[in-house]
Amino acid sequence: MSELWEVLSEHFPELSSGFWVTVRIVAISFVIAMAVGTAVASLRIAPLKPLNWIGGVYVELFRNTPLLVLLFISFAGLRRAGVPIDAWVAGTASLGLYTAAYVAEALRSGVFAVGRGQIDASLSLGLDYPRTMRYVILPQAFRTVIPHLGSLTIAMIKNSAIIGVSLLALPDLLHQARLVNSRTFATNETFFWAAVGYLILTLLATFAVRRLEARYAIHR
Amino acid sequence: MTRTSLWRALLVMALAVAALAVAGCGDDDDDGGGDGGGEQAAEVRQFPADTTMGKIQNRGEITIGVKYDVPPFGFKNPQTNEVEGFDVDMGRIIARELGVRPRFVEAISDNRIPFLQQGEVDLILSTMTINQERDREIEFSQPYYIARGRILVPQDSDIKGIEDLAGQRVCTALGSTYEETLREEAPDAELRLVDTYSECLELLQNGAIDAISTDDVILTGMIIQDDTLKMVGDELTTEPYGAGIKEGDKQFQSFVSDTLERAQRDGRWEDLYQEWVGQYIDKQENPPTMTLKQALALG
Repeated sequence: MSELWEVLSEHFPELSSGFWVTVRIVAISFVIAMAVGTAVASLRIAPLKPLNWIGGVYVELFRNTPLLVLLFISFAGLRRAGVPIDAWVAGTASLGLYTAAYVAEALRSGVFAVGRGQIDASLSLGLDYPRTMRYVILPQAFRTVIPHLGSLTIAMIKNSAIIGVSLLALPDLLHQARLVNSRTFATNETFFWAAVGYLILTLLATFAVRRLEARYAIHR
Repeated sequence: MTRTSLWRALLVMALAVAALAVAGCGDDDDDGGGDGGGEQAAEVRQFPADTTMGKIQNRGEITIGVKYDVPPFGFKNPQTNEVEGFDVDMGRIIARELGVRPRFVEAISDNRIPFLQQGEVDLILSTMTINQERDREIEFSQPYYIARGRILVPQDSDIKGIEDLAGQRVCTALGSTYEETLREEAPDAELRLVDTYSECLELLQNGAIDAISTDDVILTGMIIQDDTLKMVGDELTTEPYGAGIKEGDKQFQSFVSDTLERAQRDGRWEDLYQEWVGQYIDKQENPPTMTLKQALALG
């Protein structure tokens, strides 16, 4: 039992720096995922077939590519092609764009829940399509899918661990845990604390989602 | 869909999944090829059943952890899909001494010691440097190879030695001895720690890092793959490689050390060295004379 606390106290600097790096990665990826996801969802439900098609291609591409493969392509692949992308950009962009595909699909289902009726009514009242989306449909769609977006955020927090142990080697929580493990060989104890770190983040996300749900969610 | 056709469809899918699982379980690791059979039947010494050697002989095979991506010590030949190299052949020598088949599994710097401790492998032969920290967790054999630490950089780099690493991005394997060495000798260098040296090579080739530091033989393996790279710097460290044995198993430790020593004396070591290392780096090395005590005293 004392080994457990020993690992934490002796290696707290490494583990906590890893924790904060994970927080940064997740924060940046979250912003990318929400922004791009909303944009792609709009494309998917637009009344123009070409836009639908572009959105569709994006979703299929990023949903069906494993995150690790995406990381390799965005980092090693692009660099070999001459693009001097760095590990932070490649990592957060990959995680963000990957999650965005799922966010887009979630929002799309939210829009369907709002109903065609409202789109038609808004258009017939004289609002153009972008304004209809912005002021009428999307706000409702977001509020309908808050729980779903919460799940996607939790999944994204856990997926962030892949970045640290891939070629990109960002010093996130899991990377630092493996570092500490390689020095102490106290595998169980070290990864216990790493799990605790991720749990803190996912529980925070869960509580945030619950608060948002209580205030804003529309239950259909 | 009717109920019977639904059940039939599910049955077919379940069988397909089972078939894939069985196919996937096939042993794609090298299992010693043809020479495991006849030649040693006459001379193999049988060990008592309560020793590790005896248990391995009962099982009929020895599981050895080797590197899969570190030419020329342990690497998968892409054409034959079998793992080969200096470490692998050393493993075969030990297996032949016991009269069993060698089974090779991949051991990366990060997981090889846990594998040994948990019994996933009987022996580790994976370019593992002997040091006191590891000696607390496992037993080492006598050194079977001495490598020297160097630095690898692209052809046009200005880095000439460890002094030039300040502010540069340097890659080495997580959990390797070079991590410590670099933290001590080049504290201002930006370390990138990855799982395997092949990832370091990828990062160097695409410009994400400026240098790789590890044993000269591993670096030689990289130069063999990409001759636009060059090795610079004085010998950073002396890295005696030892085979890894489970903690406390002194009998197996002496067996392995004796077997390796015999190979060093009767010319088999020199043959392996020439085949895997000598022909590439144009160097003539003698079998190591360092003892385990001396190796541990180095660090």
